Amino acid sequence: MAVSRLARLAAAAPVPVFAALGAGARGPVEELTLSDDVTLVDSPRHATVLLVVGAVPRSLIRPLSQVHDQLAHPRATAWWSSEEATLDPLPQATLIRAESDVVLAVGGLHAALLRGERASELDVLPDEPANPWRGLGANGQGGEGMMGGTPYGRPMAMTGEDRDGLPLDQLHLRLGPFLPAFPAGLVLDTVIQGDVLQECAVVGNPFERDELLGGALTATPPDPERTLAAMERARARHHLHGVARTLRLHGLDALARRTLALAMAPPDDGDRVRYLAHRLERSTALRWATEGVGRIDPSAAEAVGGIVARAAGWSSDARSDDPVYAELGFTPIFRHGSDAQARWRQRLAEAAQALDLAAAAGERRSDGAALELPWGDDDADRRLLDLLPGLLTGQELGDAMTTLDSLDLDLERVARAVARTERA
Amino acid sequence: MPLASVYANDWLAIPVLLAVVVGGVYLVSVLDELFGEVVSGSRPNLGRSLRLPVRQAALLLCQSATRTEHPDRILWPVAPAAYAALAAAGMAVIPFAEGFAVADVRTGIVVFGAAEVLTFVAVYLHGWSANAPLALIGGYRSLVQGFSFMLLSMFVLIGVALPARSLSVGQIVEAQSGLWNVVRHPLGLPLFLVVGLGAALWGPLRLPDSRELAGGTVGEVSGPQRLAWEFARRAMLVSYAVMAASAFLGGYLGPWLPGPVWLLGKSVAMLAVFVALGHLVGRVRPERFMAQAWTVLLPLSFLDILIAGVEALP
Amino acid sequence: MLLAFVAALTVTAGVFSVMLAVRLLRPHDELGTTWSHGVPLLGGQAPETHAWSRFHARYYPMAIVLIAFEMEMMVMYPWAVVYVELGAKALVEMAVFLTILSLGILYAWREGAYRWQ
Repeated sequence: MAVSRLARLAAAAPVPVFAALGAGARGPVEELTLSDDVTLVDSPRHATVLLVVGAVPRSLIRPLSQVHDQLAHPRATAWWSSEEATLDPLPQATLIRAESDVVLAVGGLHAALLRGERASELDVLPDEPANPWRGLGANGQGGEGMMGGTPYGRPMAMTGEDRDGLPLDQLHLRLGPFLPAFPAGLVLDTVIQGDVLQECAVVGNPFERDELLGGALTATPPDPERTLAAMERARARHHLHGVARTLRLHGLDALARRTLALAMAPPDDGDRVRYLAHRLERSTALRWATEGVGRIDPSAAEAVGGIVARAAGWSSDARSDDPVYAELGFTPIFRHGSDAQARWRQRLAEAAQALDLAAAAGERRSDGAALELPWGDDDADRRLLDLLPGLLTGQELGDAMTTLDSLDLDLERVARAVARTERA
Repeated sequence: MPLASVYANDWLAIPVLLAVVVGGVYLVSVLDELFGEVVSGSRPNLGRSLRLPVRQAALLLCQSATRTEHPDRILWPVAPAAYAALAAAGMAVIPFAEGFAVADVRTGIVVFGAAEVLTFVAVYLHGWSANAPLALIGGYRSLVQGFSFMLLSMFVLIGVALPARSLSVGQIVEAQSGLWNVVRHPLGLPLFLVVGLGAALWGPLRLPDSRELAGGTVGEVSGPQRLAWEFARRAMLVSYAVMAASAFLGGYLGPWLPGPVWLLGKSVAMLAVFVALGHLVGRVRPERFMAQAWTVLLPLSFLDILIAGVEALP
Repeated sequence: MLLAFVAALTVTAGVFSVMLAVRLLRPHDELGTTWSHGVPLLGGQAPETHAWSRFHARYYPMAIVLIAFEMEMMVMYPWAVVYVELGAKALVEMAVFLTILSLGILYAWREGAYRWQ
């Protein structure tokens, strides 16, 4: 039969997966892009499998259900988790344990769906319009002037002032947390006029004081017994992941895969990373896309610390004071610019440096590597999150996403920092 | 040539054109996959790349079509169909061999330019019709990028029309029997490639459908409509590759081999360039692109037309 | 010219018939029409208003500059055909014309027309 033949072909296609990130999920999800059998897609409409990854706070179950309902049919949900997740919010989800082969499991779901062995999942949220029909005219327009009323279940946008003096319509949008450039759990309340963010505020942090469902995939605490070489390699891996994420955001999927492959199997010294950095720095388009975007005031950047500070001209690095690092000839790399471009270049340079250090370190051990974490210190993310609204306000939406990506923000680290202060 | 025989030829050209569109779209998908594997450092797998487009198309045919809250139900599906049709209409003015074209009209490059401009309408409507914020922003982005590169394409194509003393693509090809236009005025081809990337929303100029807008104009689209959209984008790329080969690389002209083989080879080379650019050049910022298009690329196209003009003088 | 339309229409008809045929053949489409499926993408949230609005296209000064150039294109097409006959005179004329337009571009650039307002 023609249809079943089509279905067999479709079942053999790479599985389009939309990943909904929980805590400790970003790394493992990005590594999925290296697989030939899975494609990470940008929109839930393009996916057959919704892959919920890691620990999701209970307060995000409602947005998660919304994303679930937005997937095209046929669809299925899988929850990739290190622990037995409570699946009651999404009863139809299949649990994939952290240690099992996720590509195989997702592929099985996809094939079963298309062959008709598994029914497409129904909506979780009720099938009701957002607002009741209300208004005066035949199409519910009514209300004030031209744009009032609630035609077809939603009000129309209303005008607002703007910096160029043209009062045009504003959209009040709550963005996130399941958008391509967004870190897990980030929700922004925004006012958008045209494509520029006029106002921007962070809506809480769902990882604070909220019950977590499922378990993070990469929640391994730093092992104090590890050698300096192992810690530096982990640092390089972290930074290369960040660069791969940036490349993917800018549509360079193949180069992102190349960078990720370097992160998965770190080379013995920094030369290959430096070669990659050299190639990317010559790219005009990447420069156009990131130069001058998301510029942080240098004094604010210094307060944040880590890469953000070193990309703003400060040489602050906790490793500088460490005798073992001094023995290896370590001096911090820094550069000026304090924009998204300076930050991805800084990440690449530090990844190369970390690999060189790892090569030179031998069996040495030191506390210095643990002092300067890949993301600065434990509180760096909290300070970044405070800066975020001011940084994004006034930016074009694409630039705002570039900025967000360049910060390597992690809301779960923020929640841990908050919990630590509260204990202290 | 008698009118009747011209028509006899031209009717035959329609199935040829359709075959070029469909075959070209498939080829773009295969090349894209192969280049992606090369750039990412893995070993290219030809068998897999040949099968992949068919499987992905089959998957989209098996998916349901999304309906957002109150989209424009007529214009939404019309947009990809119009986009594909404009690719075909643009290609219709290009001769595949000497005297063999769907419609090698006297105003060939005007028709091609008109099809290009209407492309922005198709992309804009695709983003607008969904009644969704991110898709809408994508739609308006298509206008800024279109307005920025539209003039380039006109100037560059007029540059190739000068030595031919005609706006017909057939005449433009014939005028290159001595020397290809890419040698006569070398600025033209690179500028035209930028236009092609923009018209097909490809690589660095995939701004309306970009990832940070969760797919932009195509973000709300699933199933067969998305297949139609991806087909149309690739068809547009094919249309620009064939036009680039005809306007700058001598089209069907060449020794020993028959004309269509030459055109095919040159067009595939152009497609390969497009696909490689897509993997090696990242997305640009809309604002930055607008500024550069007007202050750098447009003056370059003036220079191109000046070079072409001086060169064309007897 | 007629045939170009025929070709375009054939492609349109082809794309439509595929979309339509698939819609008739497929069992899932009934499921894809619910309210919660139709909520526009925002990463898990629902919008407060319709997206359709008086959009602030921040490149409007550039769009106005473009209109001026579009008019100029109308002159260029016939100019290209007679260019070789007229020779150097045509070149000088167009050079003067383009110089004036270039001044316009420079002026618009100084006024910030190529920036997001």
